[in-house]
Amino acid sequence: MAETPAIQTEALVKRYGRGGATALKGLDLTVAPGEVFGFLGPNGAGKTTTIRILLDLIRPTSGSVRVLGLDPRSSPGLRGHLGYLAGDFVADGRQTGLELLTYLGSLRGGVTAQRIHELAAAWDLDLSKRIGTLSKGNRQKLGVLQAFMHRPSLLILDEPTSGLDPFLQQQFVALVLEAARNGQTVFMSSHVMSEVQQTCDRVGIIRAGSLVAVEHIDDLRKRALRKIEVHFGSDAPALDVPGVSDVVIDGKVLRCKLSGDADALVKALARHHVVDLLSEEPELEEIFFTYYRRTGA
Amino acid sequence: MRVFGKSVRDNRRAWIGWIVALTAVAAMYASFYPSINNPAMADALNAFPQSLKEAFHLEDYTKPENYFAASVFGLLVPILVAVFAISAGVKAIAGDEEAGTLDLVQAQPVSRVSLALQRFLAITVAMAAIAGVMCLVVIALRGPGQFTALSPGRLFAISLQLALFGLMFAALAYGVGAWTGRRRYAIAVGAVIAVLGYLGDSFFTQIQSLKWVEKFSPFDWYLGGEPLKHGVQWGHAGLLLGFAVLFVAAGTWRYNRRDLAV
Repeated sequence: MAETPAIQTEALVKRYGRGGATALKGLDLTVAPGEVFGFLGPNGAGKTTTIRILLDLIRPTSGSVRVLGLDPRSSPGLRGHLGYLAGDFVADGRQTGLELLTYLGSLRGGVTAQRIHELAAAWDLDLSKRIGTLSKGNRQKLGVLQAFMHRPSLLILDEPTSGLDPFLQQQFVALVLEAARNGQTVFMSSHVMSEVQQTCDRVGIIRAGSLVAVEHIDDLRKRALRKIEVHFGSDAPALDVPGVSDVVIDGKVLRCKLSGDADALVKALARHHVVDLLSEEPELEEIFFTYYRRTGA
Repeated sequence: MRVFGKSVRDNRRAWIGWIVALTAVAAMYASFYPSINNPAMADALNAFPQSLKEAFHLEDYTKPENYFAASVFGLLVPILVAVFAISAGVKAIAGDEEAGTLDLVQAQPVSRVSLALQRFLAITVAMAAIAGVMCLVVIALRGPGQFTALSPGRLFAISLQLALFGLMFAALAYGVGAWTGRRRYAIAVGAVIAVLGYLGDSFFTQIQSLKWVEKFSPFDWYLGGEPLKHGVQWGHAGLLLGFAVLFVAAGTWRYNRRDLAV
């Protein structure tokens, strides 16, 4: 059965104003229901533009958008099934957190006072304070809670952990994983690679308004270069093994980079006396940087 | 109607402040009437040059309908009402949008049109409350203030025209703000129309070649037909209401189609 994609855009173009900048140049994006999709790219690549189109805050110049199978433009009711967290979460500072959450909950329906208080307690957030008096981190917490509180089918999160400390980032990761277990779809833009690695099934990389790659995170990791360092009992031997590159020999120490399967390298090493073997976790960040930099023009 | 409820709740303190302030101004002027209503004052006023009297609508102040039109419901009250209306109208969409707080609300399951109209409805209710409370307090002061010659019906008539006058300015500022998303445009257009309208109804009338301007002034549509003497001026009321509807419709139409500013 072909399930309706949670998000589907076709040839999405967004130009701001007459003769203004083109933020999106024909974006084709499909996010399957239940998946956690990381939306990555440098600043100004069109991440926020895409997200605001999904919420019908701005309108595409051309192309089509479907969110949970509906056109955001003609279905305001759809937004009751979405949880949205803006990159710079702002709300009227004169109201208390509780007033805001209660109001948003009443607009969406189905959020009990108990649910609000449970979440606030779990996140250690004082809802009786006026939003204007909260620290940046606590305001962001409020933003996270309002996005998750009604258990939406689709979470659309724009840089969700900006302003959160590492402890809260971990708590956020747990929240996303829990949402994924419940079958909720998560679409998030992020700069924090660790959180992308921990949560996302797939990532899409956007550059200058179009999608340059969509990859499963495991595939990316497999292709990623790992730094290998081998300490031998005697002088390091010269190695010629498939997948190994950038070999540098320094006395008894050999440093190289490995992509893909480690088997051939391990078998080649097995003929020698290996004192120590270090393999670093692949740096996804480096892969992303190569995508970011790749010149399409 | 949750957006409407939230608008009223969020603004209740400010709006109650406006009700109290405007009613106080009106009551203050009304309570001066007994001291104006004496022959010495009438003679003093008659000494003013005719052009000045026309500019400030100074007539025989010993008649309450003249005094009230010029003082209680003239000058300060309509200007304050215009200030209230413009500031409320600007805030409804443009103010919220520039503060960046409109995004979150508009990302909820409420349509653009519904959100905008509910917010304008809240302003309409506030305007009605201001004019209503003011009207009731002035009516209550008729005995102690010695102006029983003014019937409650006439006081109601002028209060209704005042409310429509305010509604038109609120609609203008709301409309420009909803159309452009910019506070400063909404404030500027509202203020320019208010000032030109005021001048058009007062000083421009002194210049023969500019006298026609008066017919286009919202101040004239409010007071020009002398509702304290002749009751509700339906033509003027229709103009005020008609323009209010036009501005709201145009602003909302555009708001429903455009991009929200980040």
